[in-house]
Amino acid sequence: MSHSKGFIFDIYRGTTHDGPGMRSTVFLKGCCLSCAWCHNPESISSKQQLWWEKNQCIGCGLCEKSCDGNNCTLSESGVSVNTEKCKKCAGCVKACPTGAISFVGKEIDADELFAELKKYDSYYKSYGGGITVSGGEPLLQYEFVKELFALCRQNGIHTALDTCGAVPFEYLDEVLPLTDCVLYDIKLMDAALHKQYTGQSNERILENILKIADGKRQGKYSSEIWIRTPLIPKITATAENISAIAGFIKENLDDTVSRFELCTFNKACANKYEKLGIDWTLKDFPVMSLKDVEEIRKIVEESGIDKEKTVISGITSE
Amino acid sequence: MKVRTEYKAKFIPSDRLKKVMEYNQELAYTGKRNIYTADTTQLVYHWTDKSNGVVPRTGEWSFPPEMNLSMGDHGCRVDNGQSFPKYDEVPSHVEGYEATAESWAKDYAFLLSNTPASIHPYESIVGEFFWEMNEIRKYNFGEKVHEMGREVRKLGAGGTSHGHTCPDYNIGLTQGWGGIMKRIDDSIALYTRLEETEKTGYLNGLKIVCQAIIDYIKDYADKANAFADKEADEAQKALYRQIAQDCAYIAENPPKTFHQAVQWIHFAIMTDRIVGHGNGYGRLDLYLNDFYQKDLKDGIITRQEARETLAEMFLKIRGQHFSIGGRLKDGSDASNEMSFIILEAYDMVDDYNNLFLMWHKDINNELMDYACDVLARHGASVPSMANYDLLVDCQLRSGVDPDIAWNVAVSGCQWFCLPGREYCDQDVNALVLLDPMWRTIDRGIEENVTDFERLMEIFKEEFKRTAEALRIFKDAQYDVLDKVWPEMATSLNCHGPIERGIDMTGARGVDYQFTSTNILGIPNVADSLYAIKKLVFEEGAYTLAQVRKATDENWKDNEVMRQRFLRQDKFGNDIDDADAMCVRVCDIIAEVLDATKNNRGQQYRGSLFQFQGHTCTDVLPATPDGRLAEEPLAHGCNPTAGRNVNGLLATANSVTKIKNYKFQGGSLQIELQPRFFDGKENIGDYIKHFTEAFFSRGAFQINLNIIDLEKLKDAIEHPDNPEYRNIIVKVTGYTTRFICMAKSFQIEFVGRNNYESL
Repeated sequence: MSHSKGFIFDIYRGTTHDGPGMRSTVFLKGCCLSCAWCHNPESISSKQQLWWEKNQCIGCGLCEKSCDGNNCTLSESGVSVNTEKCKKCAGCVKACPTGAISFVGKEIDADELFAELKKYDSYYKSYGGGITVSGGEPLLQYEFVKELFALCRQNGIHTALDTCGAVPFEYLDEVLPLTDCVLYDIKLMDAALHKQYTGQSNERILENILKIADGKRQGKYSSEIWIRTPLIPKITATAENISAIAGFIKENLDDTVSRFELCTFNKACANKYEKLGIDWTLKDFPVMSLKDVEEIRKIVEESGIDKEKTVISGITSE
Repeated sequence: MKVRTEYKAKFIPSDRLKKVMEYNQELAYTGKRNIYTADTTQLVYHWTDKSNGVVPRTGEWSFPPEMNLSMGDHGCRVDNGQSFPKYDEVPSHVEGYEATAESWAKDYAFLLSNTPASIHPYESIVGEFFWEMNEIRKYNFGEKVHEMGREVRKLGAGGTSHGHTCPDYNIGLTQGWGGIMKRIDDSIALYTRLEETEKTGYLNGLKIVCQAIIDYIKDYADKANAFADKEADEAQKALYRQIAQDCAYIAENPPKTFHQAVQWIHFAIMTDRIVGHGNGYGRLDLYLNDFYQKDLKDGIITRQEARETLAEMFLKIRGQHFSIGGRLKDGSDASNEMSFIILEAYDMVDDYNNLFLMWHKDINNELMDYACDVLARHGASVPSMANYDLLVDCQLRSGVDPDIAWNVAVSGCQWFCLPGREYCDQDVNALVLLDPMWRTIDRGIEENVTDFERLMEIFKEEFKRTAEALRIFKDAQYDVLDKVWPEMATSLNCHGPIERGIDMTGARGVDYQFTSTNILGIPNVADSLYAIKKLVFEEGAYTLAQVRKATDENWKDNEVMRQRFLRQDKFGNDIDDADAMCVRVCDIIAEVLDATKNNRGQQYRGSLFQFQGHTCTDVLPATPDGRLAEEPLAHGCNPTAGRNVNGLLATANSVTKIKNYKFQGGSLQIELQPRFFDGKENIGDYIKHFTEAFFSRGAFQINLNIIDLEKLKDAIEHPDNPEYRNIIVKVTGYTTRFICMAKSFQIEFVGRNNYESL
């Protein structure tokens, strides 16, 4: 029997980017941060949102005809949706023959979601993988995550939690006992910069990871801990920042962290911003070169973190 | 980022082998190994009265060069730019064409004896040819059969019988051509005594063929000796002498050493392939391991020498399929040291090779690891993975004797065969599922069908009509096949033809003569029926007549309607309702074909595969799944490109909902972004675990390219860029150089789903 409903916006079936082995990742909608580089801009709001994809629009005008409040308008340049006035009557979504207009975000029961994810059980088990919850910040829906992870545990499926950590520690404490691997983001060590680029200070994030590490030392949690840092040119991918994060890990977490993963910036999400009608400030940012990546690797190495623990992945310009 | 991932070589070829590689690679990228088709109808229906299935490059039945579409550089034939010099002296041209085995044999012997021995410096494995049988001899069933072909094509059926079987080289490797010749003589004596003139006629032809092969090999011995006599360089001189000795010995005797065994197989393939068809050649690790072990014990071979010898053969024979792995008769793992060396040979020279690893859950783990490592590093689907236990199950289901089913080998693009015991028309017959679908819709309109279940009944009836059309057409071919185009070179290494005095293409020439047929467009028809079910029968948004009209007009001025049909759930996304339609269509196909028997009393078998028909948009109209006429159909039983949006695991689950054991093969084609592997350790591990999970769920085959299709698009525009020269891809069931394919095939290839994750 299901107790809580989750609010999700996507499921990736078969990914190798979010935890060990082959996994499925479910993305929960709603976030406590709003990072300038966010790869899932549709994940930030905890409300259902309207997407509109220009490329799929054939200009048939059926949306305009089906809207309750005349908020869809068709003009020479295509269809535009007044997202502020939109009452979510869903007339346009139902009428659109191409799927150019759709809602992002849907409610789902934990057991329904689990049944969908379990379909790939044999692949998870063959690969040493499982299920990852990501977001948004999944712990904003920690009760739902707990329920989903409990189902995973009952069925012997590995669980991974991808969190930004900027939540009350109780949320973590509820979910960690059911978590096999926590993917914990440390993005920026400088508190002011953190606030500037993510909307929140990093104090709670750093406090929480120290508590998690302590909990692990005391045998309270058995989760594997991976620290993840997005490499955003000029913002997080600076020598000072990477050196500070690596130093923090080495000094406080080294005995408990099994992997330090740095992922290069890419612009695959640019069209998501377009679909949401948001002008993305990072859209003209450069992609890192292999040389940049090697410099980062050197900085991490200098911190004394075991080379074997450090993984840099993602797209580079070469 | 490159088109391919770069990797560090594990084995280094010797300087000698490097020269052999250069020579062979140049032949390939300059187009001298290309295979052509001249007619897209041929690709769709596997039969056209223009070319009868094979497209001669020269001679009376060839096509103007501008009509030729290159399928790729996987040909055995070396194009020397000339047509057969003694064309006017071919026996059937001089004496007059006769549809008999003896006449065929004389033409074959004439071709072989006029194919000059060709030995290049640095080679240790020799043997090439420049013209194929179909360039000198008419492959023709006659006007009556052709007329029938045109009629059945209208119903969606077609096919021709040429090759596409697999000899058993254990026969020749243990008996030698001399031993085979002796058996022919014994059989001639028997049937002469019993006054079986038809059989003695055939066997006399077989004797001519066998003698021609012996003479062809002896020619090589003579030429190598002549070269050695003139050669100043001591190393090269010794190499020529060695070739001469080997050829002189194996012309009649069974090989003694590993090197001779490889050379024997190479000649067997050359003299088989000169007939111009697509045979597979069986389980290479089982053929060769004993020879290698003996040489090793005698101290006359090193592992590197064995690799180099195999590599030379792979470089020369190009597109022929071999298998490794699988099980032995007692059920134990069949893989051996040779399985590794075969993979190492490929690993060392790259280039392409149509090699299959027959996986099963008890396979040597180290071999599987290494195979996945090779696959991951080269990214060109070598080896392709096949599910051995499922292949055996399929053979058992068809009625193959359990005592011999174990020896199955993947022998072509997606098909498998019992070496030396089957002649089953693999991969050369076609049922085009679109045709029964159109008739179903037309009848639905005429009969004013209001119930979808009734429509499905009609579909089954119409599919049966198409299958029946194929049966009648094939029976007409089978009646004369062993006279029109006997497979005599292949028959020499099969169980039956010599003792029975019947070619493997004739009734009872070999034990198993099922008819296998490819089926084109299964996912498109399933998706079309599903969309019709939803929008016509459930929502009542459109009528069948509107569907017919809109698709006939390629959805012109009907974009909203097309989008609605396109937006219905599609096969390949692990959505149960949509997948269930595909499963249902497959069940109908299997049920109808199970009940269809050829005039040898053996059943029809469908394949969830069709190699290039899906690209022929000039002959395939728009379909009710929302597909435009100019878009390719689905490739085999893979979802139509762009329709599967839930990731590869969802697609894999959809594919394994189909009861694969009711079919004769089918492959999951995966084009994977190299970026998937960024920062990943143990890349091969991912491939291994995916394969194991997928096969455990009952799937046949995985073809895996690791390639950036976006980057590869540039190669279409700049084929002369040396960077693209050696990019090799598994296009469908076969592997080829990308730049050697016709543009239409290249465009289809780069338009496929490029998965970002396994």
